[in-house]
Parts: sequence; C-alpha cells; structure tokens
Amino acid sequence: MSTEKADPGVATAPRPDTPLAKVIAGLSRVIVFWALLGGLGACALALMTTYSAVSNLLFAAPFSADYELMKHVIAVVIFMFLPYCQLVGANVTVDIFTEGMSEAKKAAMGVFSSLFAIAFSLLLLRQMWLGMWSYVRYPEVTPVLQLPLWTAFPPILVSLGLLLIASLITLIDGIRAARGRAPFTHHTPFQTAE
Amino acid sequence: MDSLALGLVGLVVLLGLIAIRVPIAYTMILVGIGGTWIQSGPLILLNQLKDLAYAQFSNYDLSVLPMFILMGGLASQTGLSRDLFRGANAWLGRFRGGVAMAAIAACAGFGALSGSSTATASTMGSVALPELRRYRYAPSLATGTIAAGGTLGILIPPSVVLIVYAIIVETNIVTMFAAALIPGILAALMFLITIAIYVRAVPASGPEGQKVPGSELWSATLGLVPVIVIFGIVIGGIYAGIYNPTPAAAIGVFLVAVYGIVRGKLSWSGFKSALLDTARMSGMIFLILLGAELLKIFMARAGVPQAAADFLQTSGLGAFEILALVIVVFLIFGCLMDSLSMVILAIPFFWPVIAGLDFGLSPEETKIWFGVVILVTVELGLITPPVGLNVFIINSLAKDVPMRQTFKGVMPFFASEIVRIILLAAFPAITLAVPRLLQ
Repeated sequence: MSTEKADPGVATAPRPDTPLAKVIAGLSRVIVFWALLGGLGACALALMTTYSAVSNLLFAAPFSADYELMKHVIAVVIFMFLPYCQLVGANVTVDIFTEGMSEAKKAAMGVFSSLFAIAFSLLLLRQMWLGMWSYVRYPEVTPVLQLPLWTAFPPILVSLGLLLIASLITLIDGIRAARGRAPFTHHTPFQTAE
Repeated sequence: MDSLALGLVGLVVLLGLIAIRVPIAYTMILVGIGGTWIQSGPLILLNQLKDLAYAQFSNYDLSVLPMFILMGGLASQTGLSRDLFRGANAWLGRFRGGVAMAAIAACAGFGALSGSSTATASTMGSVALPELRRYRYAPSLATGTIAAGGTLGILIPPSVVLIVYAIIVETNIVTMFAAALIPGILAALMFLITIAIYVRAVPASGPEGQKVPGSELWSATLGLVPVIVIFGIVIGGIYAGIYNPTPAAAIGVFLVAVYGIVRGKLSWSGFKSALLDTARMSGMIFLILLGAELLKIFMARAGVPQAAADFLQTSGLGAFEILALVIVVFLIFGCLMDSLSMVILAIPFFWPVIAGLDFGLSPEETKIWFGVVILVTVELGLITPPVGLNVFIINSLAKDVPMRQTFKGVMPFFASEIVRIILLAAFPAITLAVPRLLQ
C-alpha cells in the first residue's frame, strides 16, 4: 500500500526547467487547490450539520435541509478529492509481489495503472456529461430546497476533467521514471535516484 | 462461456491485476465494467454509469466517513495526542513497563478520536516513541508497542473500517459501534497484560516505573478532559440515541477544530494537511466503494458469491469449522492487503457463506459478531510481515530500529491478538452483550 505523502509546503528541488514542466507544475497546484476547496466544503458541511443538530437539541428546530444538502454536497466533495488521490498515488495498491523489483519496473507498472485511470476518467466524463443532460431534461429536485440534482454535475465534471489531467501527469512522470529521469512534479509518487 | 465461469475468470483477472500493482479500486472498476460488458452488452452499463457514481457518493450513511476522517485528521494536528500520553503516563508510569503501557492506553484514547489505525500509529508514534527511548526501553518493545497500539483503533469507535463493514452488510452502524466496545477494551487490557508479562520475562526490555508527583498527576489528568468530553459528546451521543452518526461526526469536527483554535494549536498549515489527509483517505475509500459496486453488479449476475456459499455449505463442514476457515483466509489475505480493501473486496463473497450457517444467533446478531471477529482478524495484517503497514510507519519514525526488530517486538502482541480472536469467535456473547443491553 502506498502512503507516499506529498507535502505541498516542502522545499522544492530544481525540476526539469522546460515549458512542459511548468505547465505540469501549474496543473498540479490546481489539483491540490481543488482538493483543498473540497476539504473546505466538507468543513462547511460539518458546520451546517452541527448547527442543525444543536438547534434541534436546544430549540427543537433543526435546519430542515441539512440531510439533503449533506447528501448532495458530499458527493461533489468526494469527486473533488479524486484528482488529488490520483496525483499523489493515494489509491492503495498491493506491493508485496513487486517489492523486489527495480524502481524503473515499478514505474512501468505505474504507467500501466495510469492508462486505466485515463480510460476510466474519459468513460465517466462522457457518461456523466450525458447523465447531467438527462437530469436537465427530466429534472429531479431535492425535497426541501427544490435544488435540481443536475447542479451537482458541473463541479463533478470539472473534477473528472482534473482526474484525467492528474492521470496524464502520473502517466508522463511514470514514463520519465521508468527511463530513470526525474519526475516533473514533487506530488507524484514516482521516485528516482536523483 | 457460462456466466459462473466468466465470474471466476473475472476473479482471476482481478487478483492478477492487483498483483502487478494496479490500485485495488481500478482493478475492481475494470473487472466490474469489463465483466458486465461481456455479460450483457454495453448499453445497460453505459446507461448506469450516467449517475451510478453520483448516486453512490450522495449516500447519507456514507457521509459519516469523510466527517470522521476529517475529525481524526484535525485531532492529529491539535496536540491532543500529547495530552493523552501525558495523562496515561501519570497513571501507568509507576509500573514496570509503564511508559509502554501508557503508550497503549494513549493509542486506545486516540482511537476514540480517529477512525484510522495508521493515523493512530503515526500520531502516537511521534509522541510516545521519543519518551520510550528516553526511558531506555528496548527498541523492539518501543516500536512494537506503538505498531500494535495503532490497531486498537479498528474497534474503538469511530472506526472507518467498522462503518464500511456495517454499510456493506447493511446493518446498523450504532449497533456495530456498541458491539465493538467490549472487544476493543478487551484488546487494550490484553495489550497491557502482555507488556506486564513481557517486561517481567525480559527485565532488560523495560525499566522500573517511576511514580509522578501529585501535582503532575493532577495536571496531567486534567489534560485528559478535552478528549473525554469530545468522545463523550460524539460517541456518547450516538450510543444515547441523541443523534445519528453523521451529525455526531460533524459535531466532532467542530469540537476538535474549536479546541485546536482556542488552544492555539491548529495552525494554517496543520489545517491544510488535515484537509489533504482527509482528501487522500476519503477519495481512496470512495473510489474502492465505487469499484465494489461495479464488481458487485458483475459478480452477482455471474452468481459467484452464491456459488461460494453453496460450495462451502454442502462441503460437510460444521458452522464453526467454516468460520475458522474463513478467518484463516482473511488472516492470510489481510497480511497482503490493507484491511479496508480486504473488507470491501472480500466481505461480499464471504458474508453469504456465513449468513447461511447456524451459530445459534439471530441473523442480525451473526452479522454483528462476524463483523467484529473479521475486523480484528484483518487488522492483524497491519502488524504482520510482509506488509505490516503500521510497522512500516513506525519504522519511518524510528529509522535506527531495524524493521526486523519491530516485527519481533510486535510478536507478543500478535500472540495476544490470536487469543482474542479465539475468545471472540468462541464466545459471541462478549461482542453481543452491549448491543443486547441497548435493545
């Protein structure tokens, strides 16, 4: 299981100084920012739910939309976490059979996994795009606030787009690492003897 | 190819992909989608994918997971772990091996704030390891204690794996929390006894205890108050039926954050790393859950879980023999895989087997009892070779102690855990006492 930690505050060693490297570094920052935004969303949900529970206990007056907002927003928040998970290699793997292999071979397997992630994000991006339009055409709304369900989809689609980008970044870094070159970002779990 | 054969091929492909280090979530997604595609063509599947993931993630029961993970993430950043250790040490430090005992008690206490074993091991490790070294504990006992202590979190509520199990087998999370209480406390007590025996058998491993002065005892005990209050409000409120797990967890996030801010312990960068920890863990879990859903669609149509249940039930083995077999399977795979993936991947296949057996319990009780036994079993994988994750984490904190030493230090605790599994499996009443009381 990989538990590589990518600390965004860590001092950065010089990276390959090419335009592509800069683009990738910038996109990685966007992905980290997006996950932090999702985390803030989770905090907001916690606050809202706390308010509702306390108000219910003290004044028997819960915030009546707490249930549906939690359901609706937490789904968006989870999607916002997925690109970051892909970028930093948070998705657990079983390493026991490959432990003795060289870093280059492990990176090659990482490339293989990145291809799956790319295929998955493309497929889900297309289907959920279609899914959003069927929710627009045949609207369903939440019970209290009458919030249309499709409103969850735009941020989810952005997340899936970023998941695609994150998978491309891990693909590129994996290919570089397999060739023994330094990865483009500090976030991806690929290690080389630099 | 008949559909059962296709399902079995799917399983082989699944294990093959896992072995070549494809993330477990993606192997489940791939096999689930691929299998369903071959079974019944792409149309139904593509249609399902339009809102399957949204429907799966916008589940109120599941929302408790990111909330508890966030609470644990914040708790790691607020110095509560230090207070816990100091308080435990004030009481237990007087015994031989007392600092190690205090580390176990503090791990149990931190398990009450955090749902993650690995987070407990790494947070308590950074607090307790330096102390254990300062008091000249044998390195293997020091690292082994923390690695084992981390596993206490799996049963002490709130536990992420416990919640995931409850959701998979569709049982009440609150009942699960209640069931885990005595087995969780039992584990902590057995670990304390293990240390007491060990330091008597190997006196060089742990020094004599030192009594702390009355003033330190008093102030260290006061330091435990915030943890007790937070646990009491969050988990106590759940037990008392005042609120559901999700609001309880949200209140927990709020309380821990307020404590951190008021005490000036929660920095901006600490807050950010709590958020990113939450993102990593929640994203990982939900992606596996999505994979499990896709795999379930495929496997249920192929009839694999039912075939496994039929096979074992007509094998002529008794109920407890089959249970023992299942425990051994989980023990072996638990050593290769992290506990959460193991539970999500394997429970859907093994639960139908267990559900069809007669242990003299009601179906609901069987669910709860089996869950507790199996969670304890998979958690052992965290401290056993080859991929004892807690051992890896402790190893990264104490680089001068060779991994082999830590695995050696964990062995007495491993033995204690095997005894506990046997006790829990043989006497379901240990697990079921509190749920029966609450009914």
